Amino acid sequence: MVFELKEGIFVLDDLKNVSIKIGKVIEEEEEWTEPVGPTPMPGILELRNWDRKLMERYEPFYAPMADYCNLCTMGPCDLSMNKTGACGIDLKTAKARLVTIACCIGAAAHTAHARHLLNHIIEEYGEDLPIDLGSNINVEAPSIRLICGIKPKTLGDLRAALDWAESEIVKVLHSTHIGNEEDYIDYESKAMHVSMADHVGMEVADIAQMVAYNLPKAEPDTPLVDTGFGIVDRTKPVIVVVGHNVMYARPVADYLEEKGLIDDFEIAGLCCTAHDMTRYNAKAKIFGPIYYQLRVIRAGLPDIVISDEQCIRADLLSACKAMGIPLIATSDAACRGLPNRNDDPVDEIVKDILSGKTPGVFLDDGEKLAEVAVKVAQEIFKRKQKKELFLTDEELKEEVKKCTQCMNCVFTCPHNLRIDQGMKAGQEGDFSKLAALEEVCIACGKCEQACPKDIRIINVIMKTGYQSLVSKTGKTRVGRGPIQDTEIRNVGQPIVFGQIPGVIAAVGCVNYPDVMQDLRDILEEFLKRRFIVVTSGCHAMDIGMLKDEEGQTLYEKYPGNFDAGCLVNTGSCVSNAHIAGAVIKIANIFAMRPLRGNYEEIADYTLNRVGAVGFSWGPYSHKAASIATGFNRLGVPVVVGPHGTKYRRAYIGKPWKTENWWVYDVKSRQKVNIEPAPDTLIAAVETKEEAIVQLARLCIRPNDTTQGRQIKLTHYLELSQKYLGALPDDWYLYVRSEADLPLKMKDTLLKTLEEDHGWKIDWDKKKIVEGPIRQFDAGFNPTIVEAIYDKYTKK
Amino acid sequence: MAASAKVKKEEKYPPPKRFQIADIQVSREATAVKPEVVSRMVNKAKNPVLVTGKYLLKEPELVNIAVKFYEKGIPIIATGGSSKPLIEKSVKPLSVVFTLHQITQYMLDPDWKGFNGQPYDVVVYLGFTPYYLSRMLSAMKHFSKVTTIAIDEFFHPHAKFSFTNLTKDKELYYEMLSKVVEGLEERK
Ligand code: SF4
Ligand code: SF4
Repeated sequence: MVFELKEGIFVLDDLKNVSIKIGKVIEEEEEWTEPVGPTPMPGILELRNWDRKLMERYEPFYAPMADYCNLCTMGPCDLSMNKTGACGIDLKTAKARLVTIACCIGAAAHTAHARHLLNHIIEEYGEDLPIDLGSNINVEAPSIRLICGIKPKTLGDLRAALDWAESEIVKVLHSTHIGNEEDYIDYESKAMHVSMADHVGMEVADIAQMVAYNLPKAEPDTPLVDTGFGIVDRTKPVIVVVGHNVMYARPVADYLEEKGLIDDFEIAGLCCTAHDMTRYNAKAKIFGPIYYQLRVIRAGLPDIVISDEQCIRADLLSACKAMGIPLIATSDAACRGLPNRNDDPVDEIVKDILSGKTPGVFLDDGEKLAEVAVKVAQEIFKRKQKKELFLTDEELKEEVKKCTQCMNCVFTCPHNLRIDQGMKAGQEGDFSKLAALEEVCIACGKCEQACPKDIRIINVIMKTGYQSLVSKTGKTRVGRGPIQDTEIRNVGQPIVFGQIPGVIAAVGCVNYPDVMQDLRDILEEFLKRRFIVVTSGCHAMDIGMLKDEEGQTLYEKYPGNFDAGCLVNTGSCVSNAHIAGAVIKIANIFAMRPLRGNYEEIADYTLNRVGAVGFSWGPYSHKAASIATGFNRLGVPVVVGPHGTKYRRAYIGKPWKTENWWVYDVKSRQKVNIEPAPDTLIAAVETKEEAIVQLARLCIRPNDTTQGRQIKLTHYLELSQKYLGALPDDWYLYVRSEADLPLKMKDTLLKTLEEDHGWKIDWDKKKIVEGPIRQFDAGFNPTIVEAIYDKYTKK
Repeated sequence: MAASAKVKKEEKYPPPKRFQIADIQVSREATAVKPEVVSRMVNKAKNPVLVTGKYLLKEPELVNIAVKFYEKGIPIIATGGSSKPLIEKSVKPLSVVFTLHQITQYMLDPDWKGFNGQPYDVVVYLGFTPYYLSRMLSAMKHFSKVTTIAIDEFFHPHAKFSFTNLTKDKELYYEMLSKVVEGLEERK
């Protein structure tokens, strides 16, 4: 007799009280012939040596924000000058622990998001819904394949990846308990580990929603959607969704479609829910990132706000209340003190909201919340009186008059904006200085808390800077999700050989050091130079607000393919998984390196060969910390804006420590000294000029061909001359032979090498005879991992 | 080391507000000093260096001050693109491409010999984004013995010595910077 085993619980008729539970049935893997690599579903220890290798080169750097610790009751302890606290931890290790905790929070955010979404979707669509990302994608879950060693085929298969990620997050969080690690490098290894789990969490979340909600699947030419403060038609009720998990707000679009009302309403989003709403329904619009929350709410634009989770202001309810805007909280991660009304009838909930009995409700029943939201928005819209946005002219004058130039606001503003000077000029009738603050103000509200005169500073800034605010209105190309396998096939070689000079991935939050325009300038510099530019999250929506003189955003100027000179928006925060995925697929599809549980080899491949650099111009969230740290473990360097120093930790190599810069060369079977490329895994830059030059320099990889190195050095040198006024100090380190030199500058550079660096040049042949760290070798095959060296030399 | 040079009472300012009121630490805060003290520290140093940042791109006055440092023989590490206006005024910075983050990492290493073969003992910072410089000064305070001096417009609590807050009066700030360079002795 043959039993066909299925998952579930079975009761055998004749055996009372006996049931048999069959868990996962492991089906024979037919198509996936790839052998299982050394680290499927790794624990904390499996990749520890890889991390230690990275840390030897890229030594952790700590910039304490607080030099004391008050995490346990033996404290508070003074850890300054690297003293130890009552538990024995020193300042460096305490900071490493703090970074580990931040990465745990980031990883937990994406992973809990993924779990919530996956459970919900499986309930709705069943666990057998196939993971089909379209005909252009065969390698559909590169991070999960690489890290977990499984190849998910259905929604249900994603559970195993998530189970692994959750268990690793808990383990790493455990390590941060008092009395555990005493070595900061071990904490860094754990930060990297949990951040790698974060990449799995993100991938699960985005694959699940793409499959279930039919979001765009790797199409380069997705629709353009309206983006910015000035996008909504104020003659219609406005429903505003805010947060990061579209699962809750999605039914609102369905409800409106179903009732034929979609064109009578405006749905606009803030933060990543906005991206995902537009991926779901391109009639939705994007207001902007987190710092647009108070701009939008204080302007009174929404008729209802629906919040979900992460990166939402913790004073959202009071901000909405002050403007008479009802709030529906939907995620159990952020209930906002509101009553759970899931069990009540729609009309009763609507009545209580409209009568003011409650400023809002908690509702996570999608259909109910959609109906409530639409009914409430309709009514609030009817009641709304036409008012001037932010302040009337009279109110503005009154507010400005109150200022005594005490500067309390300046000393609390994250950017030390000179509000006092703006107010003074305003008192004299010149509002231009206040207006100029709009460009940089992140509407955090700290200044208002500090102001002894209770001036509504944000409203003053937004009222005076209204023109600047509304003019930042444009188009974002809807997030496309993953990169196609065929695209990878086309660009894999030019990226690895260096002819495509690099991939710049601009992701993350918006705590920029200066005006938003800088971000566009930085990215356009690379687009014009035919780098591949990839973006997601808040960076992706901010560049959708900025138009050039011809009225075009970058999305309108540059195509959405993953190719030289193109600009790819992958989507929301969780769509960052596809950027990591593209890097992984280069090693797999182009170089045929196996993925299955083979993390170290792929990370080593990336570090030595793939000129991809992450860029986060205004990072602030814990998720940004874990995303970046996950990229670092994968061998991708990251450049952050100056606020990034407040993560307190960087990984910065020392080019002058020549003993740190080596690889094993599989071809020559020797340990070879190499140029310090890349010399940093994560560091902060201060200005856009510096950002541009650092991004170009960090694209250099040891494996570049001469043609590739020549192209990369050309950009690096040109950009350094353009923005720093001189050749970069370290350019000669990257020269292996005269063929690496930028053609146009060859003679001058040879001369400099001879005169300033003592290299020997054969001037008849225009050849370098002596000087470089190493010679170029066409078959050069670098690795820093002994096991990988053994694997390919013992073949 | 120059840091041990005594600062007289009349050479100090009363403790000023931190540039960010919540940037609190339990360890020492900078001594807010008058320009003469800065000049003296630099004059006494074995191998001082000036590090410049972003605001040289926005305020030509700061470029002029840096040029004067250079003319007195104090070398310059230019970060953040501040090299460009300096080079236009014939300054040859020790480095142009490394970020302040990288420079700080190097300085924290007692084995680093600097760009000119000798470790720096006194580092003067000019023209930085306050919150960025603050983190770097905190790293220097906790993990190195180098004397750090911030001569920016905001008081920097984590430096060893800092100007007081001069945010109300730009002219006074520039005047103080001029006094610093006036007090610098020519170095060989
Ligand atoms: S709201 Fe704007 S001006 Fe006020 S503290 Fe925040 S960033 Fe500064
Ligand atoms: S805190 Fe208030 S009163 Fe003081 S300068 Fe700022 S706006 Fe004016």
